[in-house]
Amino acid sequence: MRKAFFFSLILLFSGCQKEKITISGKVSEAFYVENAGASMRVLVEGNTASKAYILFIHGGPGVSSYFYDTKYISQNIGDKYAIVYWDQRNAGASQGTNNGGNLHLDQMAEDLKKVIEILKFRYGQDMSLFLMGHSFGGLLAADFLTRPGYQNMIKGFIDVDGSHNYPLNDTLTREALLTEGNYQISQQRNINDWAPIISFCISHKGNFTLEDSQQLETFATQAENYVDSIKHINIVNLILKYSIPDQIPLSALLCNLLYSEDSNFNKELAITQFSSSLGAVTIPVLVLWGKYDFTCPRALGEDFYNRISSTDKRIVISDKSGHNMIFQDKEFLCNEVDTFVQNHK
Amino acid sequence: MLKTVIIIFSLLYCEVNHAQCDSINDSSAQHISLKLSYNSSLIYPGLSTGIEFPFKNVNVQLHKKERPVRCIRKGKFISGNINWYHHPDFHDNLYLTAEWMMRRTRYTGFISEFSVGPGFSRTFLGGTTYRVDDKGNISIVKLAGYNYALFTLGGGFGYDFSMKKQLPFSAIAKMNIISMFPYNSTIYFRPVLELGIRYTPGRGKSKIIREPVTISK
Repeated sequence: MRKAFFFSLILLFSGCQKEKITISGKVSEAFYVENAGASMRVLVEGNTASKAYILFIHGGPGVSSYFYDTKYISQNIGDKYAIVYWDQRNAGASQGTNNGGNLHLDQMAEDLKKVIEILKFRYGQDMSLFLMGHSFGGLLAADFLTRPGYQNMIKGFIDVDGSHNYPLNDTLTREALLTEGNYQISQQRNINDWAPIISFCISHKGNFTLEDSQQLETFATQAENYVDSIKHINIVNLILKYSIPDQIPLSALLCNLLYSEDSNFNKELAITQFSSSLGAVTIPVLVLWGKYDFTCPRALGEDFYNRISSTDKRIVISDKSGHNMIFQDKEFLCNEVDTFVQNHK
Repeated sequence: MLKTVIIIFSLLYCEVNHAQCDSINDSSAQHISLKLSYNSSLIYPGLSTGIEFPFKNVNVQLHKKERPVRCIRKGKFISGNINWYHHPDFHDNLYLTAEWMMRRTRYTGFISEFSVGPGFSRTFLGGTTYRVDDKGNISIVKLAGYNYALFTLGGGFGYDFSMKKQLPFSAIAKMNIISMFPYNSTIYFRPVLELGIRYTPGRGKSKIIREPVTISK
């Protein structure tokens, strides 16, 4: 009786973990990659039969790939290519026990390498794989791409409002906030909202501490609400909209986000930059940026574009987007990504 | 402000003095119960089953101006439970809990209860799990998942059918918060809703004694 009970338990849970690999025009399947104390969730959706895969490297650290999995993306890119949503360690649905000591950039670049190896193991070595990094995902992608030989694993890179240089990012955020803030005030718009931002930027000219950097990021996010040209988004509404259909483990997302935001890892990031090593990047690159992105200002995208050695590269600016192009100018994003992947797959 | 506080305290003081209660140990209510419930984490399905051992049951009759106004049974229990929920693509969680419970049953059959206790969790990841070794060899991890320490805290209400009818059943609805740790070096919280039935064999009509009792406090 006891043996039968345990046997049925093993059958039940091993059934949930049975390997499922689907090659078709409409796929949705998740698997996990275990590495250095973390089991990271990878969700593959869309057209795996196309053999062209786009792997999202989400922002944060600690934000989840769930937020990038929108209906519009599924219908406008997922119908042509496979989209891979990877939850980085200590983010989203990724799980583990006492693994905070491994939360650092080098480890995450190695995690990404293993995710790619397993993707190719599952869906075929002949796939055309593209990376798409957003915000912090741009820093992680820069780390990955500048490691010897790593860029040969992929066909191209799409940088969407990514940050490859955190110290420069802070300087440029301050400048962008000052420029836009002074302009808005001169136009008599949201004067009371811009005043504390301008005041902070004037009193903090450089040598930013981690706290200064975090305050600049907070102001950069708020500033998007004070510019009429930007499409404003409500993150809470988005979470509520997608939490049930996407089966989002909300409390896990929240716990991971709070831990990652508060971890010592951020001190390491605050002084991390890849500007000096970007010359090693030679693969095709598409740089997409929001004109009103204060979190990772447009000049950061131009710095990335100018420093890479790729001969096949393109930079395009969205006139109505801030930092979250996936919601603020989704048509522009999908069209550009589609063209880029179509030309390079 | 001070005036308001004095008035509230005066009213409470009067209530406490006017409302007295009699209590008596009720050994007839000392029966083991079995529980089976749907253990949903909001929209994700699951099951919970357990056994409850009573260690104290006291019938209490509250008086106001020498008239009985309310009769309740206060019970304390220890329970052992095996629970499971399934969250697709995330994990299956099989967890054991040992709970200390406090329950009040009114003469009408209405139940309110509170529980707290430690536990142990074993999760099973919601998908095939791969591992790559240093040489690049890829393997599948069997029964991938993690062990966690667990703590649960919950409260709920229900109805005891043995109070008015000859049925040894109770229906319960309970909200638990389970916390698992160390989860990615932090603590993971999850609300779990339990809807179920408690069966108490050996207990038919289990009326709260309404006769005057000798013990008073």
